[in-house]
Amino acid sequence: MELSGWDAAAVCAKAVTYAATLGAAGAIFFLAYSGSLLDELLGSRIRRLAGTLLVAAALASCARILLSGASMSGDLAGMFDSGSVRMLLGAGEGRATGMRMTGLALAALALPSNPRFRALALLGAATAAISFAGVGHIRGLVPNAAPLLLLCVHLLCAAFWLGALGPLLMAARDGRDTRVALLAARFGKLALGVVVLQLAAGAAVLWTLIGDAAQFWNSDYGRLMALKLLMVSALLSIAAVNKLYLTPKLLSGHAKAIIQFRRSVTIEMVIGALILLVTATFTTVTGPPH
Amino acid sequence: MLKQAILALALGGAIMAGPCTAHAKLQSSSPAKDAQLAAPPKALTLTFNEAAQVAVLKLTSGGKEISIPVDKNAKAGPSFTFPLPALAPGSYSVQWTAVAASDGHVTKGSFAFSITA
Repeated sequence: MELSGWDAAAVCAKAVTYAATLGAAGAIFFLAYSGSLLDELLGSRIRRLAGTLLVAAALASCARILLSGASMSGDLAGMFDSGSVRMLLGAGEGRATGMRMTGLALAALALPSNPRFRALALLGAATAAISFAGVGHIRGLVPNAAPLLLLCVHLLCAAFWLGALGPLLMAARDGRDTRVALLAARFGKLALGVVVLQLAAGAAVLWTLIGDAAQFWNSDYGRLMALKLLMVSALLSIAAVNKLYLTPKLLSGHAKAIIQFRRSVTIEMVIGALILLVTATFTTVTGPPH
Repeated sequence: MLKQAILALALGGAIMAGPCTAHAKLQSSSPAKDAQLAAPPKALTLTFNEAAQVAVLKLTSGGKEISIPVDKNAKAGPSFTFPLPALAPGSYSVQWTAVAASDGHVTKGSFAFSITA
């Protein structure tokens, strides 16, 4: 698999789009289910984080299309080639990007502290998260209704999980151990079911993409998928440590638990970012072999 | 309840999925890959395994690019033919980029041919 500089730039833009969109959606979900555990200050900081990620997601989505144009032609001129951009938008990117922008705009309703528009904001966050199913390899399956639904479930769960890490880290940096413990416990309780659902949906989607297993795992796509699965395993291990070991320590007021928790969440964020980068790579420059 | 939902999801996906029609791959071309032609071809034809649109087509020889107009507004299809100018004997390289109509995936490829006389 050879990557030009423009290919790499397009992949990075896609990874940033994933991270910012899923991060924003997850932060908005976090605000909704954490509710009374958040004081005004922390709630305000998380809303600012969500706002920053919403803007980043919108900008990255636009940059991705332009960089895809450059990747197609292999030069800078491709970014400004209206024909190539029109082709990309017409083949599915337009649908996915339009859905994402609509979702991001609705999700912005979560930014004021008034909860009046919370339901719409949650709908917007969910719409933005599942927008990535608007284009890509799953779309090419025949039939594709069930695999698309599974992919949407996978994306929503990913947003829930990865998008909670930023707010949890913010809470952990506040130094109020009891609140962090309660937030981590609430997240952990919900995350158990969400992660199982995410893995099941992801496994089912993967099943639909594998034709000849030997051919699949020997392909560039299969090798990158294997790398993703390895990193997901690492993430699951850390999440298990957080839930089963660190959260009880936080709840019992153990002295160093908050520092260990901050470190653990930071590592989860780094691995999560790498997972998104690998996913962006195999969904951009390769494809399932059959 | 949750376990049942998860099992239903996993089985549903496994049952409902059908043959995969993924990104556009070049099935054949004219001139063919590594062809050695006695006479210059009048046209270049690319045939893909599914409906696609050709976004970029570059024909180069001796480091120089030979202009081939590509209609980016052309409807997606499995095959495209591009008229060629008169080509001198030599080695040629074709680089193409296509966008699959089914999933929007971009694929690239290249092949070479030569004209001996």
